[in-house]
Amino acid sequence: MARDNIYQEEEFPSPLMQLWFHFRQSPVVKIGFGCFLFLCFLAIFSSLISPYSPVENHLDSLLLPPAWDDEGNVSYLLGTDNLGRDMLSRLIHGTTLTFGLSFIVVLISLVIGVVIGSLSALTKGVKSSFLNHFLDVILSIPSLLLAIVIVAILGPGLSNTLWAIVMVLIPQFIHITRNAVEEEFNKDYVLASRLDGANSLRILHYSIFPNIIEKLISQATLAQSAAILDIATLGFLGLGAPIPMPEWGAMLANGIDLFYIAPWTVYLPGLAILFSVVATNLVGEGMRHALKARKES
Amino acid sequence: MTSLLQVSNLSKSYKLDGFWFNRKSITALEPLSFDIQAYKTLAIVGETASGKSTLAKLLVGAEKPTTGSIKLNGQTLQHGNFKQRCQHIRMIFQDSGTTLNPSLTIQQLLDEPLRLNTDLNETERNKLIRETLQKVGLLGEHMSFYPHMFSGGQKQRISLARAIILKPQVIILDEALAALDPSLRSQMINLLLDLQQQMGLAYILISHNLGIVRHFSDKMMVLCKGRVLEVGDTQKLLKQPQHKYTKKLIMNQHFQINNN
Amino acid sequence: MNLLDIRNLSIKLLTASTPILAVDRVSLTMKEGEVRGLVGESGSGKSLLAQAIVGVLDDKWQVDADRFHWRGIDLMRLSVDERKKIISKDVAMIFQEPMACLDPTTTIGEQLEEAVDIAQLTGFFWQKKQQRKLAAANLLHKVGIKNHEICTKSYPHQLTEALCQRVMIAMALAKRPLLLIADEPTAAMESTNQNQIFRLLASLNQLKNMSILLISHDLENITHWTNTITVMYSGQFVEAGTTQHIFNRPYHPYTRALVDSSPKANMQIPLKSRLMTLPGSIPILQHLPIGCRLGPRCPKAQKACVEAPKVKNYHGHQVSCHYSLKGSY
Repeated sequence: MARDNIYQEEEFPSPLMQLWFHFRQSPVVKIGFGCFLFLCFLAIFSSLISPYSPVENHLDSLLLPPAWDDEGNVSYLLGTDNLGRDMLSRLIHGTTLTFGLSFIVVLISLVIGVVIGSLSALTKGVKSSFLNHFLDVILSIPSLLLAIVIVAILGPGLSNTLWAIVMVLIPQFIHITRNAVEEEFNKDYVLASRLDGANSLRILHYSIFPNIIEKLISQATLAQSAAILDIATLGFLGLGAPIPMPEWGAMLANGIDLFYIAPWTVYLPGLAILFSVVATNLVGEGMRHALKARKES
Repeated sequence: MTSLLQVSNLSKSYKLDGFWFNRKSITALEPLSFDIQAYKTLAIVGETASGKSTLAKLLVGAEKPTTGSIKLNGQTLQHGNFKQRCQHIRMIFQDSGTTLNPSLTIQQLLDEPLRLNTDLNETERNKLIRETLQKVGLLGEHMSFYPHMFSGGQKQRISLARAIILKPQVIILDEALAALDPSLRSQMINLLLDLQQQMGLAYILISHNLGIVRHFSDKMMVLCKGRVLEVGDTQKLLKQPQHKYTKKLIMNQHFQINNN
Repeated sequence: MNLLDIRNLSIKLLTASTPILAVDRVSLTMKEGEVRGLVGESGSGKSLLAQAIVGVLDDKWQVDADRFHWRGIDLMRLSVDERKKIISKDVAMIFQEPMACLDPTTTIGEQLEEAVDIAQLTGFFWQKKQQRKLAAANLLHKVGIKNHEICTKSYPHQLTEALCQRVMIAMALAKRPLLLIADEPTAAMESTNQNQIFRLLASLNQLKNMSILLISHDLENITHWTNTITVMYSGQFVEAGTTQHIFNRPYHPYTRALVDSSPKANMQIPLKSRLMTLPGSIPILQHLPIGCRLGPRCPKAQKACVEAPKVKNYHGHQVSCHYSLKGSY
């Protein structure tokens, strides 16, 4: 009886596949996604790829310009800094620190924010409001200032930076999760699930999370670009990773004094930060566009 | 025939938060009673804000009644005990677009009530899902499809499959036919009639379309602003309406029918 | 002279692969003062047709027609801008779900004043504001809203759907159009409100001699209010004629099925018996049948239905079918 309406295709595109299809449509977004994956790859395999160790000093080649310059040396592809450390290896290791750390930071704050947001959406009244807003005080202070204050209290160091930025990013995830979950609760299929006898956890897992995960991810990419900048700034101020570690912000701070004699020590880490932020933003934009296109089709 | 479902003195009022001691309460539904037998259909007619959706939600267990009780086969149904209720009373919603979870396949969608309420193993569940899909006129292969690949009429059929898969005794149709095109509506009505004969279901049809009500229901109840104005046999009520609101309703719709 | 004369209008959807013929050679004529109903289920292309007439389709739709005349002017020869100028002067359109069509952030009064035709305002520029207010109040009176003060000060969400639809009609009347296209104006409403809106449209038709093209998916609903009806199925022209003819003696099997599914026809058949329906469901755009698109579902389909039928005219009653039911009357 329903012969006329069967899809003749062999595959059955799930909503995720549809999203991927729309995502692939824009070439700029594809390039951005490729760069994002490239950065992830660098972050994971940095110690295998980089030619030298990031902290090893080559005292015979201090302040060497990049290889395309006349005085450069091809064995130090992007030059060296004032202590003879190879810029390329430092940049690659810096990917792990700045980019990789931002990823972990966003992941942790996402998980914490989603848990608190779901609890807030499941309860009603004062408890719900409290859970939703108790971390809002964090939103009232500029994120960088708050991170500096926390690091100043706890002392500098990589793990303290991590916790500071995690604290700063949590409130937005709470709000987004709570709003998205409440919106989903009004839909009929959640009511149908509840009438079938599912308990709240099951409803969250099967009916709600698959439908809000995309919103969370697009918010996460926004948060990640902010996190990259925050980590780099903290490094620049000397509050982040300890001195020998090749964090991009710290490298920038290091190179500032030498800007006129060795500009590459400044612009190379700066370009790296720019590249990672743009890649992250392109992925986020692409995902938001794909979500909108999928909803319209 | 003994009643399948007996409702006595069911009512619902909401408390609005006014200032401190000034709490107003709104009565969405005034106390009403009725009963339904198997193989019969009760139609509940009324305009918006008449309390029909509240009644549907109370019957299916989504809201707690302020007073009154619902008895199924002599057993009182408790609010909050969904497992007890969902095997006997099921509901089909109006908007087929939001009634199916877009990220689950049809198989997962129909699997959920089975997994929560029965002890069948996986092969038995799949077999039951396939049979149910065939009963509502879809193919077994549709199990692996996602909801967005179906048309509106087919989505309503899937809702119907989800309703009958637990072999209930009462199905509530909350304006389920309103959004369908006329030809699909007729197909759906034929399907519902067949299932009623096969499975001995009782239907509670909530609608404001008197044409469907006239054809499909045995008893009819007219609601206005939460109060029952008239209840009785459909044919008698439509031929000789007592209350003037009912007369107005009939005139509004039959007005177009008779005057051609 | 016909107000609107369309012959063999086709609308193609330009996709990445082959173009899909969403509307396949539909003809439509409207006279002055006529109320015509355009009936079709979802997927019949009736909204597309209306949007093509008004000219709001975007680039992925391609519109061709043998003849597209408005009051004698051939619109196919004009450029897009000229066409828009002519049409927007004389044709207005109202839609489903009026509350969603009004701007939720401004009051009704402001929106009405925006819709008022500048050309009808005379006087110096400092008097224009007052005149605009007056014109807006007049428009509200025309659609039967007597106390315009409350209405002009409220926002759309504070009004009911029926009131919002009246406001939409008022805005459509601002330019004094000759043709009003109503795209399922009462789909979201109950029967009392539906009656109000239809009665308003009928009175406007009689008082101002304004033609109305009433689009609906429910044949039986509009039979009281229309003079003539055109039926479409899946983008193809099915039948057109006077309301009496279409409802009492339909020539096409599809129209027959539509009439059979209406409550009036079902008054005679026994209670709780199966209704007469067409099997199957409406074809989707990606899998349109060749030839007559009702073919797979039609009870009278035979080999000749693989070719699209031509339109036959029987004293003003047009049918597009190889095996029409004319012989059975």
